[in-house]
Amino acid sequence: MDYIKEKAPPVREERLRACNAYGGSCGNLVEKSKKGCLNGIKRKFSQTQGCQLNLSLAIINTIRDAVVIVHGPVGCGGASLAQAGVNKGFQKLRDSSARGLLWVNTNMGENEVVQGGESRLREAILHAEKEFRPSAIIIVNSCVPAIIGDDIDGVVEQAQKEVKAKIVPVHCEGFKTKIMASAYDAVYHGILRNLVPHEKIVQDEKSELEALQEKYRTSRTVNVLNVSSMSRIDEYELVRLLKAIDLELNILPCYAHPNDFQKATEAALNVSICATHDDYFVEHLKEKYDIPFILRTIPIGVKYTNRWILDIAKFFGAEEAAQRFIDQEVKQLEEAIAPFRDIFKGKRVLIGGGEIRVVANAELLHYLGFEIIGLRAYHYDQFADEMLGEQDIITQIPFNVATGQPFEQANLNHNLKPDLYVGHVNTNVWAAKQGIPVIPLFHQSQLFLGYTGIYEFARRLARILRNPSFNRNLKDNVHLPYFEEWYDKDAFSYIDESELQA
Amino acid sequence: MSNFIDRPRYLCTMGGAVSTLKALPRAISIIHAAAGCGGNIGNALNGAAGYLGSGYCAGLALPSSNVYERDIVFGGEERLEEQIASTLEIVDGDLYFVVTGCMVDIIGDDAVSVARRFNQQGKPVFAAETGGFKGNAYNGYDIVLSTLFREFVEKKPVKNKKIVNLFGLVPIQDVFWKGNLNVLKDLIQKLGYKVNTFFGEGETIENLKQAGEAHFNIVVSDVYGVKSAKIFEEVHDVPYIVANLPIGPAGTKEFLETVGKALGVDELLVSNVIAEEKARYYSYVERLADVYNDLDFQRYSVVVADANYAPALTRFIADDLGWLPELVVITDILSEDEEKLVAEKFTAFSSGVTPKVVFDTDTSNVSKHFNKAWPRNNNNRYFNAFSPAFVFGSSLDREFADSLGAAHLSVSYPISNRVVLDRAYLGYSGSLRLIEDVIGLLVGSR
Repeated sequence: MDYIKEKAPPVREERLRACNAYGGSCGNLVEKSKKGCLNGIKRKFSQTQGCQLNLSLAIINTIRDAVVIVHGPVGCGGASLAQAGVNKGFQKLRDSSARGLLWVNTNMGENEVVQGGESRLREAILHAEKEFRPSAIIIVNSCVPAIIGDDIDGVVEQAQKEVKAKIVPVHCEGFKTKIMASAYDAVYHGILRNLVPHEKIVQDEKSELEALQEKYRTSRTVNVLNVSSMSRIDEYELVRLLKAIDLELNILPCYAHPNDFQKATEAALNVSICATHDDYFVEHLKEKYDIPFILRTIPIGVKYTNRWILDIAKFFGAEEAAQRFIDQEVKQLEEAIAPFRDIFKGKRVLIGGGEIRVVANAELLHYLGFEIIGLRAYHYDQFADEMLGEQDIITQIPFNVATGQPFEQANLNHNLKPDLYVGHVNTNVWAAKQGIPVIPLFHQSQLFLGYTGIYEFARRLARILRNPSFNRNLKDNVHLPYFEEWYDKDAFSYIDESELQA
Repeated sequence: MSNFIDRPRYLCTMGGAVSTLKALPRAISIIHAAAGCGGNIGNALNGAAGYLGSGYCAGLALPSSNVYERDIVFGGEERLEEQIASTLEIVDGDLYFVVTGCMVDIIGDDAVSVARRFNQQGKPVFAAETGGFKGNAYNGYDIVLSTLFREFVEKKPVKNKKIVNLFGLVPIQDVFWKGNLNVLKDLIQKLGYKVNTFFGEGETIENLKQAGEAHFNIVVSDVYGVKSAKIFEEVHDVPYIVANLPIGPAGTKEFLETVGKALGVDELLVSNVIAEEKARYYSYVERLADVYNDLDFQRYSVVVADANYAPALTRFIADDLGWLPELVVITDILSEDEEKLVAEKFTAFSSGVTPKVVFDTDTSNVSKHFNKAWPRNNNNRYFNAFSPAFVFGSSLDREFADSLGAAHLSVSYPISNRVVLDRAYLGYSGSLRLIEDVIGLLVGSR
């Protein structure tokens, strides 16, 4: 894969034939996905979702010592307002002097739609430099400048000569794609072109010993690619897991400092916890710098945590040590979880969120004793095929591919009547109003990953199930906005497969 | 002032339209825009407005045509038509309103005509062009209101002398709007009038539909809702007055007198209401006479707020609370005329305090204006410091407050560091809540 010479990456509909509308069984989905025939499914009724720009900001807003420029009308990137009071604390967990989220909007109005917004963008870049002296200025480009043809890269090239901060243009116009996960490619594309050095940095004037030490260190270092929904304690858990096989971690891209990306090439291996988040980045690091990668699974649940560790251990020839560690961890975990198993036994659960996380949680919740009765994923692509295809117990249950679309979720919850909903931010509220106990699928201050993540998740589950009165009371007192007739229809009746591309 | 905005405190026109509709009971927005517009707006309205939440049919439930590249090339009207029809099948609302995003406005989709076809079949579907480049959220508020005043509010040749409408207080952008409307309704009811606010507790879309029978419109803003009031007057022959947004006894007295005079209310009744309310107010404030004086609770203040709150709040701080507001930063995008109107509000405080008032949209400029308004200590042994101090602003101004070592209360959008339910800061009762919050912070950090 090499798109780095292009100004912008291809969207995921093209690159991965990803889909965001589907309703059917898990088994059927995997089969269709493998044949590559999910692309082009539409909805006749749809609800809003995120766009590339929103999701790009989920990563970019975490970058320390950077100023974000939203190039567009004044509302674009407005969701950052909700993070303005929160984000600084998370940055400070990585650097006590972090400044938190800073952004500038170029406030494109009717004049700029006619005359172009390039001068505003330039002004905003110079302001960001002068006012904040950041290490990086990251520009997210919205729909309007894209359609009127603002030459973002031209402005950046000129401004870069006058500005010390590294300028990173990210082409993430919302209207370009329905698959908001295209954002990951857009952000990594900007990082690869502007923050990762174009050649491996060769430092001279090192003694032979220093060079050897450096080489050894690199040979034991892995880049672990995090996601913005992870917590700092999740990261500590991953460090713990890989310390057990004597590896050093370089954690990127979320909450990293712009200069941290210079070291991205000084690792023996790139490890993802979410293939659909990282494939674009690791494929390019492989292509350009010959750094191998592992994309296969996410360390959620026993099965996949084991697999995640073993795959990495295998690369370093440390399988035996890893297996010993795993055996010991699993034994301790089993004992710790035993008291909770009665509470979970036979309870029925519906899970919704990012595809990889959802499919891994199905395995985890099954392991804990739950019955999985339905899955919903924000989008679907080839990266979940292995994990979904191998879980025989859920082959027949419904899988709904939907970026949000709470009307389909409400229908499924109404008819399947789960005892628990495990869900993505902004979808949980709708299950709550149906009276269903809810546990968030991720949380930026909680632990989910690795073995301790399994225990903590189980502990939280037991707590939440102990008294779900808040949601139960909601059910009796508030209503969802759908007609009663909607619940009598098939949940997938507005999904239109007529233009399905074979 | 710059062309770009350093951390703007509002959404775009469509954001304002969606938030206005979200606040209107059982009104459903149908977004005709790219897929992320609604999601972006939903997050900003939920997390940045005191945890307002997704509401009845906002957040991710917002119906949206989610047009993308192909529709932008070939036109999105067909997709919109399909979306309106399917929304009417699934979503249970009393009124449906199509709002448009930048892209469909630029390519020239005629959403208004598409909506009108449904309207002609008797469906309550309305539409307006609200592309984000047309302005900020306040513009969206006026566009939605004026469209509904023109097309939804029934013509009533015979007016009811006991009914008034009130607007100008922009829902969600005023994070305390719901509680505030309760207070304003209550005050005007004491003068003998029934009040439609469209967004208040217990009101339905019927209140809006029947609003044409009102005798008067009261706009509690110099700049917001005025356009809509003019359209209301033109279409329904109902005159309007602009009254001040009332916070505290001084401001509320003026409000009641202005409204009373315009409506021709018996002066004695007005003065009785004022006396009664003020007596209640002071029966509580009296409790603080000890602590205010024992612990010296006077504070220098900075106010960072919108064009509605800034004058009202500053007057309360100066004339009622007896504090020293030295700098006021008004963060809205205003025309010169509007700036002049708003600036005048700061010139006649009974306390004689005259704060420096600046209009600036940029968050990082607040501290620069402060440095100009108050001298810095150049290592002087004796220095008249800006201390003790208190900053009234939004969540974005917390850092500025920290840099002064000042206490900070979020009162203006965005508010992400506190939860707001039915709290009100207007009128006599609302200013008691404000005092509880402000003095509460001071005693809480002792």
